[in-house]
Amino acid sequence: MDPDALAKAFVEHYYRTFDTSRPGLGNLYQEGSMLTFEGAKTQGAQAIVAKLTSLPFQQCQHNVSTVDCQPSGPAGGMLVFVSGSLQLAGEQHPLKFSQMFHLMPTPQGSFYVLNDIFRLNYA
Amino acid sequence: MDKEEKMGVEDQLEMVAKAFVNHYYHLFDTNRAALAPLYHHTSMLSFEGQKIQGAEEIGQKLAQLPFEHCRHFISTIDSQPSPFGGGILVFVSGNLQLQGEEHQLKFSQMFQLIPTQHGSFFVQNDMFRLNYG
Repeated sequence: MDPDALAKAFVEHYYRTFDTSRPGLGNLYQEGSMLTFEGAKTQGAQAIVAKLTSLPFQQCQHNVSTVDCQPSGPAGGMLVFVSGSLQLAGEQHPLKFSQMFHLMPTPQGSFYVLNDIFRLNYA
Repeated sequence: MDKEEKMGVEDQLEMVAKAFVNHYYHLFDTNRAALAPLYHHTSMLSFEGQKIQGAEEIGQKLAQLPFEHCRHFISTIDSQPSPFGGGILVFVSGNLQLQGEEHQLKFSQMFQLIPTQHGSFFVQNDMFRLNYG
């Protein structure tokens, strides 16, 4: 599968999981994973999932506008750069966001998120 | 490494990231031709979806952008270590004012910085996107 297609597939899977079953995100992180969410730093799959499942909204929907990817180096990692909008249930206007992921290959042939940085893009 | 030492490393990393970002955009806004040395022949740039590889081509692309002057205003800088490459991932958001344009454009950009032998960093990965309304 070509890298761009891989990146798109990952991004779709990630946001579908986020939008329908946030606890399921735990499978996408490992112990060494790092998340910076609106400036707040969290480390490790358990703490990251706790952070994401405790965000102050029940439901949201991500609409992805752009996905860019590049290989990160000799270890087979991929950098993925996303922009789009986020609709929170009950809110009138969607929020704009950008996010970057550093994906690393697993022995089973898939990817996990090693680095994750998320920012809302305010007007 | 005990907790205190670890926090020191993270703070150091953040300082490096901030210093790099300020240097990068200062060069971009005052002397775009001087950006090429920040890249190596393995470097990759994705600029609004267009992929360019190598310091020379990247330098050319940036120098040829269709405006004389611009000014970057940085809102946020986030950074994390990139463990397998020994590098630093830097994620920036802010505004871009093009000379002669009335309204500022919003942008996001990410870099992967890799240490050089001489104790500085070069840009191995660079991805830039405007964030439209």
